[in-house]
Amino acid sequence: MEGAENAAETLPAEPADRVRAVLERIVNELELDADVVVSESDGEISAEVEGEEVGLLIGRHGQTLDAVQLLCYQIAYRGHSDRKRVTVDAAGYRVRQGEELRRRADLAAEDAIRDGRAIELEPMGSNERRVVHEHLRERPEVETYSEGDEPHRCVVVAPLVTD
Amino acid sequence: MRELLEFLARGLVEEPAAVHVEEIEEIEGEVILELEVAEDDLGRVIGRGGRVANALRAVVKAAAVPAEKRAIVDILD
Repeated sequence: MEGAENAAETLPAEPADRVRAVLERIVNELELDADVVVSESDGEISAEVEGEEVGLLIGRHGQTLDAVQLLCYQIAYRGHSDRKRVTVDAAGYRVRQGEELRRRADLAAEDAIRDGRAIELEPMGSNERRVVHEHLRERPEVETYSEGDEPHRCVVVAPLVTD
Repeated sequence: MRELLEFLARGLVEEPAAVHVEEIEEIEGEVILELEVAEDDLGRVIGRGGRVANALRAVVKAAAVPAEKRAIVDILD
């Protein structure tokens, strides 16, 4: 109780330290046997929860992990205007998901080029859409954009017509 | 669960002292957490399109699992 009452006052001042404090609190509350590692670069605060059984933190389709990441970002930068991206991963989940997403994005790009038509990927969240956009930016023969409203918003991969 | 929600909400708002969570368990195993914040902070715990509120719900839901309970977050406005 005491701790909860003083929680806001005891949150550290630095955004990266805040991310760590929030994650440690959540890991503790979810009764996970896991360590929190936070690193900061010029453009990003990156946090990893390292443990064996962190499925509860990840949730179905990574929904809980996305929620944790959003809260970390909002809490880290409350009252700050100079913000960096905050990413939170657990046991390499986003890395593995990212590889799978990039693989599917490449397949869609190949189909789009071969068939000369736009290919719509399945609906996904903004974090995943960003992975697809950034990955396919490297391919000059296609363009990508998002269509539809959340939660059905999806990436479209279209061939770029060159003349 | 209650303490976690309070902790997260206090981290999100400008007026942490005004954050209060009431825990109600009328049905065995089903906990309703009523979150109250300063009027000016409502937007900070709800977020654009309810994104922050949904994130709070998702994390509290996960925190209810070890306690073998179901948690519902109700934001009072």
